[in-house]
Amino acid sequence: MTDQVSPTGAFIEQWRDHAYACFSSGHKFCRNVCPVMGVTQNENHSPTAFHANVVAMEQGLVSLEDVARDYVHCTQCGACETRCPNTLMAGDFYRHRTRTVDVVKAVRALAVDNGIEQPGWKHWVDETVRARTEPVLDVPIEQERVAEWADGLDLPIGGETILFVDCEAAFYRTSLPKAVAGVLKAAGVEFGLMREQWCCGGPAREMGYVARAREFAEHNLADWRATGVKRVIALDPHDYIAFTEDYVEYFARPGTAKHPEDLRSRIVGDDYDIEIVYITELVAELIREGRLKLTVPIEVVATYHDPCRLNKRKGIHESPREILRAIPGLEFRDVDHVTQWAYCSGAGGGLPVERPDLTEAISAQRLDHAANLEVDTLVSQCVWSERPLSKAGADRGIEVRDLMEMVAESAGIDGHVEGTA
Amino acid sequence: MTALLPVGIPGHVIDELRGICGDDGVLVDRPARVNRTRVPAPFPVHRWAEHVPDVVVLPRSTEQTAEVVRLANRERIPVVPRAAGTGLTDGATPLKHGILVDVKRMNTIRDIDLVDRTVTVGPGISMLKLNEVLRPHGVIYPDDPASYPCSMVGGRIGTGGWSLIGARYGHTRDLVISMTLVLPTGDVIQVGDGGGRKLRKASTGYALKQLFMGHEGTLGIVTEATLELVPRPEVEFAAFFGYPDYETAYASTGALAKSGFATLAGVVLFDEWKLAYLRRDDEAYIEQPESLRAVVALAAYGNRAEVTPAARELMRIGRETGGNYLGDEVSQGDWAARHDRYAIPLHGRAPDGQVVPMSWHCEDAALNYSVLPQVRQEWHEIVARYRERYGIFDDWGMFAYTNGAYKPWGDYLVEIDVGIWEQRLDDESWEGWLNCKREITEVTLKYGGSISACHGASRDGDVEYVPVELGGTFEVMKQIKRTLDPNNVMNPGKYLLDQAYE
Repeated sequence: MTDQVSPTGAFIEQWRDHAYACFSSGHKFCRNVCPVMGVTQNENHSPTAFHANVVAMEQGLVSLEDVARDYVHCTQCGACETRCPNTLMAGDFYRHRTRTVDVVKAVRALAVDNGIEQPGWKHWVDETVRARTEPVLDVPIEQERVAEWADGLDLPIGGETILFVDCEAAFYRTSLPKAVAGVLKAAGVEFGLMREQWCCGGPAREMGYVARAREFAEHNLADWRATGVKRVIALDPHDYIAFTEDYVEYFARPGTAKHPEDLRSRIVGDDYDIEIVYITELVAELIREGRLKLTVPIEVVATYHDPCRLNKRKGIHESPREILRAIPGLEFRDVDHVTQWAYCSGAGGGLPVERPDLTEAISAQRLDHAANLEVDTLVSQCVWSERPLSKAGADRGIEVRDLMEMVAESAGIDGHVEGTA
Repeated sequence: MTALLPVGIPGHVIDELRGICGDDGVLVDRPARVNRTRVPAPFPVHRWAEHVPDVVVLPRSTEQTAEVVRLANRERIPVVPRAAGTGLTDGATPLKHGILVDVKRMNTIRDIDLVDRTVTVGPGISMLKLNEVLRPHGVIYPDDPASYPCSMVGGRIGTGGWSLIGARYGHTRDLVISMTLVLPTGDVIQVGDGGGRKLRKASTGYALKQLFMGHEGTLGIVTEATLELVPRPEVEFAAFFGYPDYETAYASTGALAKSGFATLAGVVLFDEWKLAYLRRDDEAYIEQPESLRAVVALAAYGNRAEVTPAARELMRIGRETGGNYLGDEVSQGDWAARHDRYAIPLHGRAPDGQVVPMSWHCEDAALNYSVLPQVRQEWHEIVARYRERYGIFDDWGMFAYTNGAYKPWGDYLVEIDVGIWEQRLDDESWEGWLNCKREITEVTLKYGGSISACHGASRDGDVEYVPVELGGTFEVMKQIKRTLDPNNVMNPGKYLLDQAYE
């Protein structure tokens, strides 16, 4: 109802010109790379609509209540931003970049602030607050058990470098952190774990629960500072986004953030300077320097799934390919990272919590692309993508594997464990 | 305010629509309706509510579409077809509310016939997606508008689209072999050349296919189209030349267009205002000396054995007529960016130089070669007057593109690009814009041109002049409209066709 639009005033003021930049040009190139539009063909879910709605709110034609549900239909993959001619052709000139992901996050936050909540997300965030970790499906969750995957690995707590283990990896796909730990140890990288790791807060932020998200972030930063952490290794793209975007926004002293395209970001405050490193960047370097040797052949025909947050949002697409090419025995059938702007698993941005049907359909499309290449293996490096992709892969006789697990296998690391907990 | 944008059609009709298209194929929420209202053409934002449909339907088949139209015809409810909604006139914008038929869910490729060289598709597929599938077969569908990545086959047919490589391969109307069409009564016909589905030329009966292209949704909804396949070109050659003045570039354009090479895909002339605009506001523009005042671009497509010798001759003609070749980087890069540059102007300039978000008016008159210099002068003078008076317009210069399919020498699609600061539109400035448009149109007609080469002439500022341009033909148009659409349900209000029922 438009007479309830008033709380949106500040929001509109902030976003109106940005929204007009899309509305005025109206190209809609974004539609062809949007994974959600690709399965619903419903323009309510298009990045163009996400901007036009802001203009329509300003014009008093729609209310926040009218549009809030539509903004569920976004994985925050960032494809629309990369494909937008405004970004491509006028970006540097005007210091303009289309920021659909930020618009979606802002509308979701505005909705939550105004008491418009999505039931699945509310439950998810409530459970995360209760357990300090995400309510990863099908496994019991308690914060106290967040490092159980590391039992017997004799990993220290704290130290200059720590490994942050995503919730899905810590509780469900425990083979991933085990593999990563094994790889790092084999290469002589010293690292520890947090004293008390909480959820990174990224999902809560993506679902619109800004204050909740920040509480997690503050806890984690305090934990890092207490043990003098200088470097955090992320093994999941969603965590990496939270650290390099949300945490930088919360905690970095103004002027310390590096260029946004910089792959290795730092969170710099008055008495902390923490580098965030993505695991594929580090492992590619270890292989390049000869500190990690991949000698055990893996005889598969594989293609690589560019995780959206790495490829489209952070520009990390070379290091995973470099690693794959270093695995002996593996026949790599690559699809370039620009073509993969249109690919997604559908597992991001809270979509699988509210619309699991769409996640399933998007993953199915992704596996259709893989099947056309006549591969037997799809390699991902996003633990959240791996559940829906695996399900779709099973229907098509394609195994979905995590890149780091394959690295561990090829490095001949003892104790490498296949599968899930 | 809760009564804003009420659904103006009866509940039982909505229920029937749900019965036809399923629950997820019928949308009455305000965002669904508001977001299927505008197209990239300048739009009176302050009057958005006047153009919102009552309900959106997303049919998945010809049968569902036909049932929707039959229901609308029975209930006398307006029906507006919409594909990508990327048109540069207002064909897909509802003028009288009603049922908006969004065809995006009819987006499959139904048949690729490599023997008889056709592809049959739903109207909701884009050329980019279609060619991704076709290319591995060694063929393409060569309809290549600036909106190539986003416009859809249905809209290309509805507007009578123009292709950047049309001099070589033809435009949309030359590339559609046959169609399945839902008429305004809900009857379904196959229309092509004669009765064949895959024939390029027949003389059985009236040649009606062209009637159902470019009608802006006033005569029916295409639900399936059989399209031409051509061999995937071995070579896509592009060359850009710079000139010290417009007159030399104009003469060079003529010489190139008249060269007679069958592989010539198109020639484009950029005028001085366009160069000034690109220098000022286009970051992708590769800097050229100030002495360069006009540019001519050309492209040649086809087999290597044809294109290589033709390209050599075209280079010679370009140089001998005063062109300075701008190099491979500009030529290949700028041609490759032809789609991404679609509606490039994210922003324009207010008269004080301030950068402001602007939308894009793209004039698309068809004009003969002989009148281009004079039209250019008069159009720029018109825009300059309105720019000064209202302060919300910007002149982004002109392009002239070869217009004839296979015969590119005689007439041009002539574009003046005008930026409009939509945030500042009100009744007075919108009327000011329409008056500017009318003056531009009057110049077109004075020089024997046509209002629209490809977008359609149904928007305000154009449409008033359609009877003037067409004369007695407009009377025939009205008779046809009334015959095919006895209850005026298909996109009513467009093209002044309501007059057919007076």
